[in-house]
Amino acid sequence: MDPSEALDLIRQERANTGRALTPDPRLMYWPWGLTWLIGFGLSFLRYGPGGRTLVALPEWVPLFGLTALMIAAGLFTGLAGARSGRSVSGPTTRQGIWYGIAWSAGFSGLAVVFGQISEALPEHLLGLLWGGGMVALVGALYMAGGAIWNERTMFSLGAWISAVNVVGVLLGPGWHALVVSLAGGGGMLVAGLIGWMRLR
Amino acid sequence: MTVDEPTLPDLDPVIHAQARLRVVAALSQLNRDDRIAFPRLQEILRMTPGNLSVHLRKLEEAGYVEVTKTHRGRTPATLVQLTRRGRFAFEEYVAALRTLIDPGEEPS
Repeated sequence: MDPSEALDLIRQERANTGRALTPDPRLMYWPWGLTWLIGFGLSFLRYGPGGRTLVALPEWVPLFGLTALMIAAGLFTGLAGARSGRSVSGPTTRQGIWYGIAWSAGFSGLAVVFGQISEALPEHLLGLLWGGGMVALVGALYMAGGAIWNERTMFSLGAWISAVNVVGVLLGPGWHALVVSLAGGGGMLVAGLIGWMRLR
Repeated sequence: MTVDEPTLPDLDPVIHAQARLRVVAALSQLNRDDRIAFPRLQEILRMTPGNLSVHLRKLEEAGYVEVTKTHRGRTPATLVQLTRRGRFAFEEYVAALRTLIDPGEEPS
């Protein structure tokens, strides 16, 4: 084994190990991309811009659909993430668990705050409050995750989601759902693809 | 032997063997202080348990690897990690390889 062969072997083995221990970005991002695409898409169709109803779905469908899809995506990505890290223990595992707790704490905190003030708000602003608030949290947490793991794709996705969210909120109710569905959900699908291609 | 000729570094014989180099390279990819389960390491390296054990023992004797027997719930688990010394030896080894390829390059 000459020196350059040894260096090649090291490169290969490190890359191979990295792939084996990193969760597949497609499995981590695509469930969320589809959740946003469908969930916020339904919201746009039912509660369109200017209070218009584009498709006469029952009132409960968008919120129920989004919640059900989010639970499914959360379980799926949680399992996929745990599975890839199952055989490693140490500081990295703890980092992952703490990061997961940050997500739960953030969502629970916002849900309590929004729940308290929702009654005082007119109907047409409710979607904007819940949608805009939660999406802002997702964007910030993805950016934080990118910072923790030095993952450029994750950080960029968070920055993109944060920007898209602000644009949507400024455009107003209805438009927000459309923008988040297409640009936000689409962004997650793209992030999964880019992350996967980088790992190969 | 000329005086001017730069001395080429020796390669650490514990690491400079194909199978053990693969083991150390794989372990070096883990974050500091993280441990990996033996069966998973075996799967990543595509080695038989016996083969991997032999190489780990050699690395353990050199103080480069630490093998811990523990329990996960009720099932016994064997965890493997690179020691600080092992990580340092690996970095030195890589630096030595670079110097061998390009002797003009100052080892950093």
